[in-house]
Amino acid sequence: MNFDALMLEMAVALLALLILVADLLMEPGQSRRKLGYLAIAGLTGLLLVSLGRYGMQGAFFNGLFLQDDYALFFKQTFLIGAILVCLFSLDTVDNLPHSRAEFYVLLLFAVVGMMILASANDLITLYVGIELMTFSFFILVGYVLCETKSTEAAIKYLVLASAASAVMLYGMSLLFGIAGQLSYNALAKGLTASPALIVGGVMVLSGFAFKIAAPPFHMWAPDVYEGAPIPVTALLAMGSKAAGFAAMVRIFAEVFPGTGYPWPLLLLLLSGAAMLVGNLAAIPQTNLKRMLAYSSVAQAGYLLTGMLSGGFAGVKGVLFYLMIYVFANVGAFAVLTAVSRHRNGETIGDIAGLSRKAPVLAVVMTVSLLSMAGIPPLAGFVGKFFLFSSAIDAGYLWIAVLGFVLSMVSVYYYLNVVKSMYLGAPADDRPFEIAMPVRVTAVFAMAATLAMGVYPGPLSQLAETAAKTVFK
Amino acid sequence: MSFPVLSTILFAPIAGAAAITFLPTTAGSTIKKVSAASMGISFLLSLMVFFGYNWQTGGMQFVETLTWLPEMGASYSLGVDGLSAPMILLTALIGFAGVFASWRVDERPKEFFILFLLLVAGVAGTFVARDLFLFLLCYEVVVIPIYIMIILWGSSKRVTKEYAAMKLTIYLLLGSAFLLAGILMLYLNAYPAGARTFSMEALAKAASSGALSPEFQKFAFFFVMLGFGSLLSMWPFHSWSPDGYAGAPTAVSMVHAGVLKKIGGYGLIRIGLLMLPLGFKFWAPLIAAFGVANVAYAAFIALVQKDMKYVVGYSSVSHMGYVLIGIAAADVIGINGAVANMFAHGVMSALFFAMIGHIYHATHTRHIPDLGGLAHQMPRATVGFFLAGMASLGLPGLISFVPEFTIFVGSFKAFPLFAVLAIAGIILTALYVLRVLADVLFGPRRSEWDGVHDLHGADWVPLVVLGAFLIGFGFFPSLLMDVVNSGIEPLTPLLVKIKTAATLWGGL
Amino acid sequence: MENGGLMHTLAFFLLSGITLAAAMGVVFKRNLVHSAFLLSVTFLGVAGLYMTLQAEFMAAVQALVYSGAVAVLVVIGVMLTHRQQMSRSNPPNKMLLVGALAALSVVGAIVWAILATPWKVGKGSVVTAGDIGRRFLTDFAPPFEAVALLLLAALIGAVVLFKGGKAQS
Repeated sequence: MNFDALMLEMAVALLALLILVADLLMEPGQSRRKLGYLAIAGLTGLLLVSLGRYGMQGAFFNGLFLQDDYALFFKQTFLIGAILVCLFSLDTVDNLPHSRAEFYVLLLFAVVGMMILASANDLITLYVGIELMTFSFFILVGYVLCETKSTEAAIKYLVLASAASAVMLYGMSLLFGIAGQLSYNALAKGLTASPALIVGGVMVLSGFAFKIAAPPFHMWAPDVYEGAPIPVTALLAMGSKAAGFAAMVRIFAEVFPGTGYPWPLLLLLLSGAAMLVGNLAAIPQTNLKRMLAYSSVAQAGYLLTGMLSGGFAGVKGVLFYLMIYVFANVGAFAVLTAVSRHRNGETIGDIAGLSRKAPVLAVVMTVSLLSMAGIPPLAGFVGKFFLFSSAIDAGYLWIAVLGFVLSMVSVYYYLNVVKSMYLGAPADDRPFEIAMPVRVTAVFAMAATLAMGVYPGPLSQLAETAAKTVFK
Repeated sequence: MSFPVLSTILFAPIAGAAAITFLPTTAGSTIKKVSAASMGISFLLSLMVFFGYNWQTGGMQFVETLTWLPEMGASYSLGVDGLSAPMILLTALIGFAGVFASWRVDERPKEFFILFLLLVAGVAGTFVARDLFLFLLCYEVVVIPIYIMIILWGSSKRVTKEYAAMKLTIYLLLGSAFLLAGILMLYLNAYPAGARTFSMEALAKAASSGALSPEFQKFAFFFVMLGFGSLLSMWPFHSWSPDGYAGAPTAVSMVHAGVLKKIGGYGLIRIGLLMLPLGFKFWAPLIAAFGVANVAYAAFIALVQKDMKYVVGYSSVSHMGYVLIGIAAADVIGINGAVANMFAHGVMSALFFAMIGHIYHATHTRHIPDLGGLAHQMPRATVGFFLAGMASLGLPGLISFVPEFTIFVGSFKAFPLFAVLAIAGIILTALYVLRVLADVLFGPRRSEWDGVHDLHGADWVPLVVLGAFLIGFGFFPSLLMDVVNSGIEPLTPLLVKIKTAATLWGGL
Repeated sequence: MENGGLMHTLAFFLLSGITLAAAMGVVFKRNLVHSAFLLSVTFLGVAGLYMTLQAEFMAAVQALVYSGAVAVLVVIGVMLTHRQQMSRSNPPNKMLLVGALAALSVVGAIVWAILATPWKVGKGSVVTAGDIGRRFLTDFAPPFEAVALLLLAALIGAVVLFKGGKAQS
């Protein structure tokens, strides 16, 4: 038994329980903002502690739970995402009709699930991690029951995610049936080429494709993103996707390569479909959350190109891109929170004239969207550079060309938002109030996006170290 | 390390933009002064670079190098040679003139000047970069400010300015998608993993050492050609250019037609020719053919335009045709002419757009049939307009004559037919230029324009500065040609080597 | 019962038949209460299948938790929430044909995969509840604890959704 390996997971879980108990000690009508600050402070502390944990390698619990730089990098990604989401959701939570403290609790539980996914080295741990994350999201998505859209989104997510989980679980059972083992290392040795491996592998891949919202398993994303409260959408877009990739990359790096089937071909198809569907379907959207949902489908496609090469260079790109995607996402959703608070809507018309009312937020939105499009000197450009150069290096030139071209197509719908912000007339003349935490988050996210675009060195080195622990 | 001249040229506008962010929106005149000061610093330093460049020794000068991203092989390294020295001067010159041409922007001046300064800094960065990664970074930075500036401060009749802005942006970005793919291929294939580098010198060496197969060069160059070709408004990827210029505010048209397009020609030489010489040679006939199409097609269209900006827009497409032919000739004289012509066209089209901007500001129309006889009311603007027009049709004694002549001399050997066709295009150029001059400036006095203001105050600056170069380099072409030649002459061995290489139409 | 013996085979097909028929009933019965009870039968059939595999502990859990608790909860849930006519509470779906085709193709793929794969057949060592418990608290401690958190999250979620429903009404 080694509890040190589980330190981060346990700490986040304890933090959640602490908030749960503290909530009981507070007056019913009192604001729960303090608990939000507690969550932020706790997570920040953990993030700082985790910085010193690089280089601690090891397999625990009989090799079922891994502690390595790769997992640590992902855990930090989740922590940063969660901290920023908590920060800009302070006001949203204050305005919830009920169960304010529980919002943070469930959010932290989702983070624990993601962290377990990053460390999982066997199918059971993997599955439980996925479920812990997904269950927390079921509730978070439908948090505002009095809004029909939120409830509808929650039910859609519940039904579809359960179906995806069932398919994945069935696939896992087939893999287990072939190898008679659960841990990745044993599976890698025990899996032999057979029809059941094809079916099982495809089923497991489908489950992951659902989590990262890659077509044809992306249908839930637009509706759920639209219906969920904005902070939840933000966490869903980056956390759920990153966690899906964390587990998927590990399983595709350690289990499948030796089995003799052309798995990269499947990933290639998935990647191309995601880029095409995401970018083309995003064009006609007028609701920004739906647009960002389709854009996140496209991002999954870009990220998948990093897995094609099957080497550390591509995985380094995946890690790097996911981290910077967190910042771009947080920037966009923080601005959207402010807009939504003011206008009670998230359409392209609601954001019109933002540059006159809140010039800083308009700049943050522009920078975040352009980073997703991969325009230099923003971080997205460097991320795409890593991903696509690894694909070209592995001989997949055309998927990279497709990626470049479609990223430029994506500029079209991102710029439509920019146009609305800068050219459109404001829909009302009420003064625009921006809560301090939202402003801080937005500006921080923008600064990070810029800084990592101009000087990506440290992050890229960190990502490389992390990627190398998976590809020895 | 001595004083970092090039970095200062690059960062003065950025610092200016940063300073302006902290100024209140209402401080219009302070904002303009800050912009003028920061561009002034860049301009003076770029003069110093151009005239301080020792063309007798040649090579890269004013070199600065800092480690930046060693694991990718990218470094922050700047320098100028005979190819980039005129370009950096042109950038700073037009940027400086552009600030004054925008002196009358009173709507949201803060955003305007921040974006403008960032745009100029981006363009400047592409010309001084000795590192391909830095080049790419600066290259794409410029597109987004242009988009926002066109939709906010632009004006257009034939198509909406939103349409024009989006068209320009998407064309340029799609082109850059192919360019990025091409450059990535080059980067990945030039050196094995671990030794990869973005250093332009090293990549040029990789080609000459035979690390890149002819097939690869042909393939990669095609991508690069698409990217730079669409930026240079090479036919058939040119249609964004007239719409975009017509929609853009004056200063953006000046920078875009004046320098941004030139990145295309610069890149074709710096990256296409130097790093993928066999690919360059292979596609050169196609480039030359497209160049002729540019010259003739755009000139014909310019003949019938009614909007002054469209005339100059198509004229700039037409002029780029000469540049393409000169580059495609793959000959020291031809490339010399092409580079010098890029400089000449930059100065001339910037002056054109500045004067059109002024006339539009004064009369609120750019519709040629509505105008006429403006020489009576606006003698000063007429001088500028006339100078630009005469330079455009290549009048001896003005800046364009020697470069265009050089292009013809250089390309005649390689593509006799194309050269003759292109010379014929000059007649068309003369036609449309003289038509505009006659219709807008001359003719009987029209009473409705009696009250309009001629150039005054800040308006003088673009005329004086740009006019000085127009005439100065016209009378003393060697000031320009010597510097350019010092950059192109050393390519002789390379050009001789690819002289007999296979082309699209078989050997020559 | 011996593996592969006649009785064993008979029991397998009998239990599978019950399970599948009950599952079909869950889908096709018009009355949701009937569907819920048939769900319980399905669970019991699966429990029987576990018995034939000598997984007594799993069978017990399946019978107690799924058939006993989950299915009953479903019935109670149906009764508490549904207020219209019960006989048409599970309306048929127009996508029947498409759904059947999709389901059949998936079944076809799986059957093909299972038949065409040479499976490794183990000795069938008996796993006691004690073995399972020991592994839960040793190697599988992280997922076991995570499941505990998952249950807590579900509990909190139930309260949150309940409060939300109350606020709404």
